[in-house]
Amino acid sequence: MSNRRSGRAAVTGIGVIAPNGMRTDAYWKSVREGLTVLDLIGREGCDHLPLRVAGEVRSFDPADLIEDRFLVQTDRFSHFAMAAAALALDDAGLGGEPAEPFSVGVVTAAGSGGGEFGQRELQKLWGKGSKFVGPYQSIAWFYAASTGQISIRSGLKGPCGVVASDEAGGLDCLAHASRAVRRGTDVMVVGAAEAPLAPYSMVCQLGYPELSTVDDPDRAYRPFTEQACGFVPAEGGALLVVEDEARARERGVPVRAVVAGHAATFTGASRWAESREGLARAIRGALDEAGCAPEEIDVVFADAMGVPEADRAEALAIADALGAHGTRVPVTAPKTGIGRAYCAAPVLDTVAAVLAMEHGQVPPTPNVFDTCHDLDLVTSRARPAELRTALVLSRGLMGSNAALVVRRGDDSAR
Amino acid sequence: MITTEVTFDELSALMKQAAGITVDPEELKEAAESPFDTFGLDSLGLLGIVGELENRYGQPLPPDSERCRTPREFLNLVNSTLTAGA
Repeated sequence: MSNRRSGRAAVTGIGVIAPNGMRTDAYWKSVREGLTVLDLIGREGCDHLPLRVAGEVRSFDPADLIEDRFLVQTDRFSHFAMAAAALALDDAGLGGEPAEPFSVGVVTAAGSGGGEFGQRELQKLWGKGSKFVGPYQSIAWFYAASTGQISIRSGLKGPCGVVASDEAGGLDCLAHASRAVRRGTDVMVVGAAEAPLAPYSMVCQLGYPELSTVDDPDRAYRPFTEQACGFVPAEGGALLVVEDEARARERGVPVRAVVAGHAATFTGASRWAESREGLARAIRGALDEAGCAPEEIDVVFADAMGVPEADRAEALAIADALGAHGTRVPVTAPKTGIGRAYCAAPVLDTVAAVLAMEHGQVPPTPNVFDTCHDLDLVTSRARPAELRTALVLSRGLMGSNAALVVRRGDDSAR
Repeated sequence: MITTEVTFDELSALMKQAAGITVDPEELKEAAESPFDTFGLDSLGLLGIVGELENRYGQPLPPDSERCRTPREFLNLVNSTLTAGA
């Protein structure tokens, strides 16, 4: 491969396994239409729990996309990740055996690991005894499992990593991959997928005061409104292929977007008022790195926690960091139609941002029809707009805040 | 005296169950001297098979059993242990 490098990290492949769509085009169609797929949780063993509504990936049959050995040896969150990674590599024209395996790395973010697999083995431990626990338990429920299994399955031997920095880690891993590319790795497979809807995982979440326990799918997750009552969890995720922009152009593949800037801060678990300053600083840091003026931001994909104090902090942070432009720029939160898939939520938002720029449409915020904050929140239907630069925001329940600036690729495919 | 031996059939089924590896019993028998990794079975997979056999036959297998490199070596060790222990 030539040594010519741009120093810019380009997005050249996208793979999505989301509650509202398998594959990128189906996901975009649902997001653009403002389709909501939130529903009562239908998974076995979950119906007695006070968490009732979530975004499930119902059309995913892992056996269709994943080989038997991975079905036995890994958890659902890794099944999602492996399937999405393969879709992303195909999209980037890099499917099949890698020509230069040591030049392709993997980094994922993970929030909860393999809860379903872990529960099954722990039930064997306490039901039958330690000799009945399968050895793959040791790797399947580990946060790092998906990075390892993607690299094994696709034969990728470049630098690998896992970002465990709370929900905002979904943006942090994109920054990590972009830095790896700038340091000289040819290609990074990056993103997150989560599967937090098994009984054990759900019980772990019940302690979060931010969790919505409303049992009406249309009312359970309505951020930025006076009816905001918490967030709804989701499963699924997205993986992207990131590579040097000059290399992508040499290969002749479309540059779908450029990861232009990122910054992260930490303000403490559930300290939502403090997240205002943390998020504003993250935005300023991301704009600085991108060399981007506040007025250049054409759309904001909000974190949209759905907790009144957190929503207020986010609206104020946008105003603090973007000034008067903060009240004029279109803001959206498509995740209200699918729920928050923890670390995968901001990755899915980044995908939505790339697609929004490609299609020139700001997707709406499902189930939200008005806002009690000083934001131009896009509701009901997609809004046509010339979009060159998007800002994606994320916060985690444990106190992480992050912002990512994404620029449109010049040779937009559509 | 134990009358049943662990066969290539049973080993093949265990590879499927414990590690998701599909290998035809006849092929396993023919390639019995090939290392387990040629069939895609890693060390955790073999460890799982050892655990399953211990539960199934109600007796411990020697520590060396999970270090066996080939199906032939593994079945010889397992069957000699099960026969001696019966």
